[in-house]
Formats: sequence, C-alpha cells, structure tokens
Amino acid sequence: MDQVADTIDWDVLSDDELDAMERKIAAKYMQKFPIGIIAWGFTNTLVWLALWPLVLMDILPLWIAFPIAVLNVTLAYLPSHDAQHSIIARRGQPLRWLNELLGHVSLIPFATPFRYLRHTHMEHHNHANDPDLDPDYDVHASDRLNFFRKHLTKMQPGHTGEEDRYSEALVRTGRSNLMIEAVVVRTLYMLVLYGLALTGYAIEAALLWWIPMHIAQVYIPYYLSWKPHHPGSATGRYKDTEAFRSHLGNVGSSGMQYHVIHHLYPRIPLMDTPAAYRELRPILERKGCNLRGL
Amino acid sequence: MLKNTIQTALRWLFSPLVFSIAFLAPLTTQTLIALELMVPGTPAIIAGLIAGGAFGLMAHFRGSWIWIK
Repeated sequence: MDQVADTIDWDVLSDDELDAMERKIAAKYMQKFPIGIIAWGFTNTLVWLALWPLVLMDILPLWIAFPIAVLNVTLAYLPSHDAQHSIIARRGQPLRWLNELLGHVSLIPFATPFRYLRHTHMEHHNHANDPDLDPDYDVHASDRLNFFRKHLTKMQPGHTGEEDRYSEALVRTGRSNLMIEAVVVRTLYMLVLYGLALTGYAIEAALLWWIPMHIAQVYIPYYLSWKPHHPGSATGRYKDTEAFRSHLGNVGSSGMQYHVIHHLYPRIPLMDTPAAYRELRPILERKGCNLRGL
Repeated sequence: MLKNTIQTALRWLFSPLVFSIAFLAPLTTQTLIALELMVPGTPAIIAGLIAGGAFGLMAHFRGSWIWIK
C-alpha cells in the first residue's frame, strides 16, 4: 500500500498541515470496501443458526457446539457496528440494502435490534464520555475488577441504570419508537428460551444461546467500551478514546486496540483500523492522544 | 389500557419468577437427568421446580440472583 506519510518530517509541520495530512491518510482508508466484515457477519450468523439443527439432530455434540456458539454470539456485534456507521454503503448508494441487511442479520445471535443499537451508538459518538449524554457512560469503572462488579450488578433484576440511559437517549433524540423494537426482540429471545426449555431442550438453549449471551454481554462492553475509553474522564476529539495493548492481542480484543481511529474516523472499516493507526500514529502523538505505548 | 396490559405482561415475562419456572426449572431437571443423578419422571421435575423456584423467589425478593446488589 502507498504510505502517504512515509517520508515526512512531522516536526516541521504546522497544526493545519497536520490536520490536512490526517484527513488525507484517513480518506485513503475510508474508501476501502469492507468485504471481510461482510463475510464475517453473514457467515457468523449462518454458522450459529446451523448449530441448532446439528445439535438437536445429534449430528454435532453439544460440547463442540458450545464454544462455537460463544464465538458466534460474541462476534455478532462488530459486523453490525460497521453497518451502523454505513461503512458498506451510505444512504442513496446502490449497496445500501447490503449495509442494512448485514446490520440486521449479523445481530440475530446477539438478540438486539440493529436500529436501536445504531441510534444509541451514534449518540455515544456524539457525546463520548459525557456523563449526561453518553448512553455508554455507565460502563466506566475505576479498574477491571470494578468493571466486572458493576456488570454483575447491572445484570440483576432489581437494577435500574444503563437501560435508562439508552431509553433517555432515544427519547431525547425523538426516536423512542426504537425502544419497541428492542422490547419485541428481547421478548422473542425470552420466548424462544422458554419454549425450548419447556419442550425438553433447556440444556441446548442454555449452551447455544443463554450462556453465550452472558459471555458476550461481558466481553463486548469490556473491550468495545470500557477498555478503549478508560478512564472516561476526558472529552474531545483526541481525548475521549485511547489506544491500548491487549493481553489477548488485536484479534482477541476484536481490533479494539485501535479504537481511537474509529472515534476519529468512524467510516474507516474495522479491519483497516490497524493499518490506519500505524500511518496516523505520528499525527496522533502530536495531537495529544494517549496511545499507551502502542 | 392496552399499553398498561402490555407493560404488565412484559414485566411478568421478564420477572425472575417466570424465568426460574419457565427456564431454570426445566434446565435443572434436564441437567439432573443428563448427569444421571435422577431418572426422568415426576421427582426430577419436582426437584427442578424446587431448585429453580427457590432461586427465582430469592431473586424476586432480593432483587438479585447472587449476593451482589
């Protein structure tokens, strides 16, 4: 790939020149077509759907299907995330249908509606780390242990908190109708669990969906929200997201080591954020981003 | 009127008690049978209902499935 920034002496550039260079590099990556994430989204959902007949007909042992289901449910969010940002195609473009289809289909294992997530996620981008307006603000915790403690608390039936932030964001932006979609999808999820359990497939329902959902609901907020925004005290273009080095590597952390790139340029495909980061790194350093040595 | 009915139905559907009876009880029963700790039949169903129901009642009154609140 042509490196826009290979031979530049960054220290002699003015702020305006750095801005221009940043936009030029980002534009190169925003033009890429994310075929990888499209394949990921559809394949992931198809594999997860295929697990059900394979397990129920005793073709595939449950102990093999369970870890696959955990991966499927955990991997369900990110393809929809690219679609939320209209990375495959924007409104009015020929492949817009594919963008929307990917968004809806990839989220089936995660049992959450696409438009509900898209709209609340846009509010997160607009107000990242704002204690009043960021729908994801509740994820912040002083350390990893506190994150897990907060998460456990949030899962309890008597808890009220993050759901209210999402509802508040939708009401504030005049999209409260999207809450209906969320309720319908979650109701269907519960009814499927109940139906399977009451017809003799409780263990299959638990290992193919219920437990994978719980694992995904920890993993996703941890890597996609808490870690890259920690400590969550700063706002502003170059301050609300930080780079980090994950113990699980870039793949194990779902590419979130480079989440700072996503917040600066949300239309860069997930799979291109590492390359964009490497090229933009000298600029990010000079703009005051906390890159934590990555 | 309709809105209130739907809200009540949903509150009921998502309540710990319903979850414990409709999901955790069968899960407990079927796990006991799968682990060959009990044979299929009424005692296994009752064991599942007692375990699941007790857990659900605790969650209902404490507002938490576990010690943390």
